Amino acid sequence: MTELTRRRTLGLGAGLLASSAVAAPAIAQRRGGDAVIAITQAPPSLDAHVTSAQAARNINLHMYETLFARDENARPVPELAETVNISSDGLTYVFPLRRDVRFHNGAIMEAQDVVASIERYRQIGASANLLAAIDSVTASGSHEVTIRLKQVQSTFLDNLSSPRAPIAIYPAAEAAKPANQIAFIGTGPYRFVEYLPDRHVRLARFDGYVPNPKATGPDGFAGRKEVHLDSVLFRFMPELGARAAALEAGEVHLVETVDGPTAQRLRGNARFTIYRLLPFSMQVIKFNHALGATGDLNFRLAVMSALDMEEIMAIAFPDIYQLDGSWIYPGSPYHTAQGTERYNKPDLAAARALLGRSGYRGERLTFIVDNNRSNIDTATVVQQRVRELGVNIDISVSDWPTVSRLGFTPQGWNFWCHGFGIEPFEGPASVMAPWVGGTSMIRKDEKIDAWFAELNAAMEQSARVRIFTEFQRHMWENAVAIKAGNYGLFQAATARLRDFKPYRIPRMWGVTLDA
Amino acid sequence: MIRFLARRLAGSAVVLLLVSLLTFGLIWLVPGDPTTVLLEASATPEQVGRLRVALGLDKPLPLQMLDWYGRVLSGDLGQSILLNRSVTEALLERLPVTLSIAAISLTLAVMLGVTAGILAALFHNRWPDQIVMSTALFGLSVPDFWLGLVFVVVFALGLGWFPTGGFTPIEQGVMEWARSIALPSLALALTQMGFVARMARASMLDVLNQDFVRTADAKGLSRTYVVLRHGLPNALVPLLTVTGIIAGALLGGTVVIEQVFSIPGVGRLIIGAILSRDFPVIQGGLLFLAVVYLLVNLVVDILYAAVDPRVRLA
Repeated sequence: MTELTRRRTLGLGAGLLASSAVAAPAIAQRRGGDAVIAITQAPPSLDAHVTSAQAARNINLHMYETLFARDENARPVPELAETVNISSDGLTYVFPLRRDVRFHNGAIMEAQDVVASIERYRQIGASANLLAAIDSVTASGSHEVTIRLKQVQSTFLDNLSSPRAPIAIYPAAEAAKPANQIAFIGTGPYRFVEYLPDRHVRLARFDGYVPNPKATGPDGFAGRKEVHLDSVLFRFMPELGARAAALEAGEVHLVETVDGPTAQRLRGNARFTIYRLLPFSMQVIKFNHALGATGDLNFRLAVMSALDMEEIMAIAFPDIYQLDGSWIYPGSPYHTAQGTERYNKPDLAAARALLGRSGYRGERLTFIVDNNRSNIDTATVVQQRVRELGVNIDISVSDWPTVSRLGFTPQGWNFWCHGFGIEPFEGPASVMAPWVGGTSMIRKDEKIDAWFAELNAAMEQSARVRIFTEFQRHMWENAVAIKAGNYGLFQAATARLRDFKPYRIPRMWGVTLDA
Repeated sequence: MIRFLARRLAGSAVVLLLVSLLTFGLIWLVPGDPTTVLLEASATPEQVGRLRVALGLDKPLPLQMLDWYGRVLSGDLGQSILLNRSVTEALLERLPVTLSIAAISLTLAVMLGVTAGILAALFHNRWPDQIVMSTALFGLSVPDFWLGLVFVVVFALGLGWFPTGGFTPIEQGVMEWARSIALPSLALALTQMGFVARMARASMLDVLNQDFVRTADAKGLSRTYVVLRHGLPNALVPLLTVTGIIAGALLGGTVVIEQVFSIPGVGRLIIGAILSRDFPVIQGGLLFLAVVYLLVNLVVDILYAAVDPRVRLA
């Protein structure tokens, strides 16, 4: 067996050293304080296994932890596990567990809790496919878990550490319960206090929490989670103006997201700090390959050639976007400009020529979109642009549940746009997965399916980079879908909130609140 | 009276059955279910299907319908899929919030509206009438959510008299409770007040032009006495109708204002349930609102007879 690769361990060490330098000033700062965070919507569930919603992740990842978690650069690093020993055939993963981890009910975390939690996730997990490669999970000691895979999966640790619908470790007794019926007991730095629906979730510092001794500072979802605050209250405030007003009135200390004009207005006020979280998501325009003109390659390429991505992004996400043709975020080892040559090359003459070669004969096409302002703006810009080619698009706006159900059916839509936030953060497998089996374009693409299988089996990162680059080129050359760009969030906080660093969730460890 | 009540209650049962059938039909016609809220946009149909089974959403519609009606008949509105509690519990938790805002708004709207309407009628076509009617028209034209936001800017951010949003239960202090519902109640009341004022004015003008009022004036009675003793009681019947309509509108109107002020009321519960397709909450919540509407209408009908002896409940 080889211990978690030397390179990864060294990388972890370097990362921790770097983050400790950043975190050092916080240690001398005040302990105490009750932070209030305004979030846009209530979490659909506090059972971390059953939801991959951002609203739930914001809260759940303060209460629950996973065996491995993503560091600041999205790499998987040990959290509740000490390390991992992988067999030479790549099929057996042995996780020695930390012995200092307590649940919020006071019990020490043991192997049986981990086994029960993983088994539960395999049954009811919102992203149970992350663990599809598992053959068996067994407690090979009181503090050791062994996972046997059915076949080699290069992304297994990535999957295990996914923050999407976290594979949280619950006490075995809770893990035996059905979806949404657990007591909210985890191992995280905050413990659950109360959930008043439509009002708030209150968490309090878990005094029995032992920060990961191998870590020296905050590091993504992992690292050393020192809690200086007494409590955090997540207030559900759907109305944009109400969130900003509450911040200005001193009723909340951090607003998860404000719009551009509000950020601009508050920026000049010393009482507030504005943070830019960019990239947070990428804006994607999908085509239904199974219906009418959008099933025609020349038509899709014509639409792509007609679009000016800067125009789309500047209108839909003013002041908080970046133009980037890669299907993964900058900073990832998989990020490359290769294969993105067709990105953002608006050329109406070329578009007309391509349209002429397509089978499009003036029929009306449907662009479905949810009632998110930025998505409607994206659809409108596309509609106006392709109208210049003589393409007729009707925009159909519905609520999210309606659109997201319709968008996975073969009828009723040609275009659909929305953000992909967590997938490009998680890595290439997550980016590719929605296109596997033709799920997102309603027509199977053999090449994508083959690359996905190849990626999962490729143990060398260089091979995975090559495969992902081919996938990326294929996406652009075939206009499987169009990525318009990356967009971000403006977050606003009182200047009293110190050492806050924007991340994929509003992390409340390592931060302090001045009196 | 008893026959009247029995007939109305029987009619109400039919209305409730129709409401529940319609609700059931509509929410099953609209695409989507709670899995769309629980999962990321890129969730595959396979993931969705698995979660549907875990949440018990895979049962056939007729079975779910039978199950639901069976429970409702025994007084159980079912279990929320997302709130981890029963629908009845969720509604009862929020009812005091919505009722307190609606009741205060209704009281303010009726008291201020009737006073303004009477004033306008007494000074018909003179400047007080013009001012009252212009103000009433403004109140009618302005959306309550906009007024609410203006109040937040002026009274919460500018003057700091009230919180910008949220709700404080009365158990945590009467003053804090009153402060937390003052702005939303006022925003709702002012938009409804215009309606009451216009109706009160029209009704009073109608009554004040009647022969019996002229007779009372001719007898030398004071104007105040004539208006309050003879005019107002006769103008009340149409105002009662308006009050009934407003009571219903306020219960519905709180939906938007609860959203603006982040108030955890029944409206916000139902809107949230619709957006997340929490079917039991939608069904139970709408049935509950229908019951409240029917009760309000019943009370208004009974009050007709109380204020106007010519109306007989038979």
